[in-house]
Amino acid sequence: MIQVKYFGVIAEAAQRDSESIPAEKVTLSKILSDLSSRHNLGEYNFQVALNRKIVSNFTEQELSDGDEIAFLPPFSGG
Amino acid sequence: MGMKLLFYHPFPEAKMNRYIRQITLPQVGLSGQQKLMESSVLVIGAGGLGCAVLPYLAAAGIGRIGIIDGDRIEESNLHRQVLYGAEQIGLFKAKEAADSILKNNSDVEILVFEEFLTQKNAKQIFSDFDLILDATDNLFIRYVINDTCVSLNKPFVYGSIHQFQGQVSVFNYQDGPSYRDIFPEENQSAPNCAEAGVLGTTVGLIGMLQANEALKIILEIGEVISGKLLIYDLLSNSQQVFEFGKVPGSKKPEIQNPFEMISAEEAIQSGSLLLDVRELGEMPSVHLENVKQVPLSILEVESVNLDKEQEIKIFCQSGVRSRKAAQLLSEKGFQNLKLIRGGAKDLLQFVETEIERNSKRSIVK
Repeated sequence: MIQVKYFGVIAEAAQRDSESIPAEKVTLSKILSDLSSRHNLGEYNFQVALNRKIVSNFTEQELSDGDEIAFLPPFSGG
Repeated sequence: MGMKLLFYHPFPEAKMNRYIRQITLPQVGLSGQQKLMESSVLVIGAGGLGCAVLPYLAAAGIGRIGIIDGDRIEESNLHRQVLYGAEQIGLFKAKEAADSILKNNSDVEILVFEEFLTQKNAKQIFSDFDLILDATDNLFIRYVINDTCVSLNKPFVYGSIHQFQGQVSVFNYQDGPSYRDIFPEENQSAPNCAEAGVLGTTVGLIGMLQANEALKIILEIGEVISGKLLIYDLLSNSQQVFEFGKVPGSKKPEIQNPFEMISAEEAIQSGSLLLDVRELGEMPSVHLENVKQVPLSILEVESVNLDKEQEIKIFCQSGVRSRKAAQLLSEKGFQNLKLIRGGAKDLLQFVETEIERNSKRSIVK
């Protein structure tokens, strides 16, 4: 399984803090576009982390069991 | 070793007792106290985060503290901005915060800026300080802070919250990555304009983490949270750290259309056109003589009915759409555009305060 974590406004939009999805031959960009359309995240600004490292370059990286993805939006309250 | 430090850094004996409990820490010592006394920190924003940060920086003996905030104290601030009391409503936060922290430590030199940070004043104000601390509640101004820090080579301690979660990081520290290495673009704000709620303890705790990072940087102790973004969830008490590096070829730190931000007070007193770009029917509605409503969705078409020569002050609910509107108008050749900070809510609040003041005045008569 792949663990997905949502923060800030993204967690509100997705209506959850986290979820687990099956990891069967799936790439990072595929899973992101799937989750983005499933939770309507298209209009949000966010950054993505894979296994606690922020991803700056989206390659066709294949995910494996136990990987963790996080959706990190900018915060603006203070 | 202690004697040697005492010899090289003559620390005023009279001040010893005040700081003795932190000087006693082997990681601080007299040399550390000297570093604190010789340091200067600019705190941007004297709101929820600023109220947590400021008293601890002052009490620790930071030599010079700058406070910049153009806001005045409102009643709805008091549940989290604990430096202020009900009798201070309507007064400038920067000055009141300074008075409050001076009560704890009058040795600190405090510079008060009763204005908002802008692209125009940032460079000059920043140049007087070693360390910049971002305690703002505005996404756009974070890019101004970031870019100014990059160009002046100064680290900045970042903190921000969303409901019960907070983010903390230190950017541009010892050639480390900057805010743009996580979020490169300033024009991709979240679409919702609603003001989120906040519990006082959330900003208190995140502000405290910022103050702690500031002290570590100055004292040169511990591990500074550079190249890492901490997300603290106060509901679950979980902390997660996300690593990031400099992104090669990332966007050059340069904000395109700079628009000056003004307060609701300044906007109303100037008398020129106030442009409401919210959709029709959005509450609260602002009925003032010089307000014209042109929703952002039709602004492109309707812009022909606006005077390019005239000064236009734009507002929406929380500042996202007003900036988009300004960009759109700027592309159409409008040059005299300003953004009203706090939007509709602040405009109405100012009008109400004025009515109240006037009625009090007439009662006194």
